[in-house]
Amino acid sequence: MESDYAIEADGLRRSYRSRTGWLRPRLTTVDAVRGVDFTVRRGELFGLLGPNGAGKTTTIKMLNTLLIPTGGTARICGFDVEKQTREVRRRIGYVFGGDRGLYDRLSALDNLRYFAELYGVPARDQRRRIAELLDLVRLAGREQDRVEGYSRGMRQRLHIARGLLHAPEVLFLDEPSIGVDPVAARELRQTVANLAATGTTVLLTTHYMAEADELCDRIAVIADGRIQALGTPSELRSRADGRRVVEVEAYGVPDTALAALRDLPGVRETAVETRGTLQVLTVQSDAHVDVQSDVLRELAGIRLGRVDSREPTLEDAYVTIVNAS
Amino acid sequence: MSGLRLVTVGGMIAYRALFNWTRPALFIGTLFIGPLFQLLFFAYLGRQLRVGDDQFFLVGNAVLTASLACVFGGTMAVANERRFGTLGHVLLSPRSRTAIFWGRVLPYAGNGLLISVFTLTVASLMLGLSIPLSALPGLALAMAAGSLACGFFGLTLGALGLRFRDVFVISNVAVAVLLLLTGVNVPPGNLPQWMVVVGQGLPVTHAAEAARMLAAGRGLDAAAPAIGQELLVAAAYAVVAALLLKFFEAESRRRASLDTL
Ligand SMILES: Nc1ncnc2c1ncn2[C@@H]1O[C@H](COP(=O)(O)OP(=O)(O)OP(=O)(O)O)[C@@H](O)[C@H]1O
Ligand SMILES: [Mg+2]
Repeated sequence: MESDYAIEADGLRRSYRSRTGWLRPRLTTVDAVRGVDFTVRRGELFGLLGPNGAGKTTTIKMLNTLLIPTGGTARICGFDVEKQTREVRRRIGYVFGGDRGLYDRLSALDNLRYFAELYGVPARDQRRRIAELLDLVRLAGREQDRVEGYSRGMRQRLHIARGLLHAPEVLFLDEPSIGVDPVAARELRQTVANLAATGTTVLLTTHYMAEADELCDRIAVIADGRIQALGTPSELRSRADGRRVVEVEAYGVPDTALAALRDLPGVRETAVETRGTLQVLTVQSDAHVDVQSDVLRELAGIRLGRVDSREPTLEDAYVTIVNAS
Repeated sequence: MSGLRLVTVGGMIAYRALFNWTRPALFIGTLFIGPLFQLLFFAYLGRQLRVGDDQFFLVGNAVLTASLACVFGGTMAVANERRFGTLGHVLLSPRSRTAIFWGRVLPYAGNGLLISVFTLTVASLMLGLSIPLSALPGLALAMAAGSLACGFFGLTLGALGLRFRDVFVISNVAVAVLLLLTGVNVPPGNLPQWMVVVGQGLPVTHAAEAARMLAAGRGLDAAAPAIGQELLVAAAYAVVAALLLKFFEAESRRRASLDTL
């Protein structure tokens, strides 16, 4: 029954029904995932990217047995996620970004001891395995402290240790680097890369494009519950081939100016990222058109910071794909 | 073998993780001192009203004092998963839910037994009730059965807590109902018939009855059927709790009805 693929998703769908309103209840249905197909080979590091609410977490929850698909099927190492839950659960680990999900009153050590028990780590291996993992996530020395006193990043690292307790064949990492400092994030990427190198299949979601670019063998971009693009990072990047990017730091850009940028001749995409009061405008254009002077003219009178012209990155390709969906 | 470990070691860790009253002040105050005064209150009230003798109130109430720890503990053993957001991670376990959750009840039952023994000892010394030495093993057995039944009763409520957010309201009501319907403070003859019938299906009722027989020196043979009935009640709640947990888990996978993460 063992399959060549670690993960196979076949027309996966999931909708949520919820009741809103109390006096006059209405049943609303959200189609979170609307037909997703992909396969992940054993040992592959597969990225799932997409905007908030795209259906990434929902997809993962169907693959890890917490939710039953409303349509389609999926298999983990050949086992059906709906019916063969025990076989699937033996083989998977799940790390979910966030502050919750740990027993606050227990120490890190006791949290790990409990989940080692639940995840079927043999008693004689537990002590060694837990010590290894505490070392790996750099919590050794703090393992006796109650988790309620942990910082966000420490919790996140404990989540990761827990997900690895039973050395799962397939690891689902849902925004694992959220709240983790840059040094720890780099270590985390190294850890993930090592796991994949030693044969663990990893399905990763992240909002950090550089992380996905560095780590993933292949990436699926999902938006509106459907896969919009699937390929290696360089294949996805090539979607922005023949383009050039102008990046402008600015303060207080009015919406009218943004709309004007989008309408400039040669401009293909625009995006804005806000960092505090600073806005970073990204303007993609055809490579043979130099739009920089046009862009600056549209922004005349607005306080600007650094202005840069560069080759497109995976992030630019991602923006293109998501905007097209 | 590893199933046994899951029940015992797992149960103990879960007790420390999920029980709200493990801090020494809360533990002693809420679980030992409070119930002791409740017991004394009913014993003195009984003297005043001449409804029953000291032994009636003391022994029955000593069995009942376990209920606070066991009923609330059993509830917390499931319902508090919601507070920590850990339920999803527990449900990802490939192991038997029944073993995981039944194991969680045992520490509370042990805790309850300890409380019953404590309140009975202190109250007997204070009020000058003497209990035949030969009755002690039987009494311990009856109290253990009562605590176990209370624990599984609490687990049943906790399972309901997966579905109904404010389940601790139900636990509060349940503890008050036990006070009335188990016949510990009001002899069954003085209760309406339907209350007696309900009481038969509640924890503590049969254990208290058995404990009274034992304290009166009637021997384990006489008390055994009542202890057996209490264990039957415990088993029934254990099964109901396991079924509810199974049902709510299946439903949550279909309807995304639990906040599993
Ligand atoms: N339990 C639920 N009940 C109702 N709707 C839900 C539920 N969980 C998710 N949704 C909806 O399903 C859609 C997809 O959500 P999902 O969590 O899968 O997105 P995501 O891609 O993981 O987003 P993010 O990047 O923000 O984590 C959203 O519209 C969300 O509101
Ligand atoms: Mg998500």
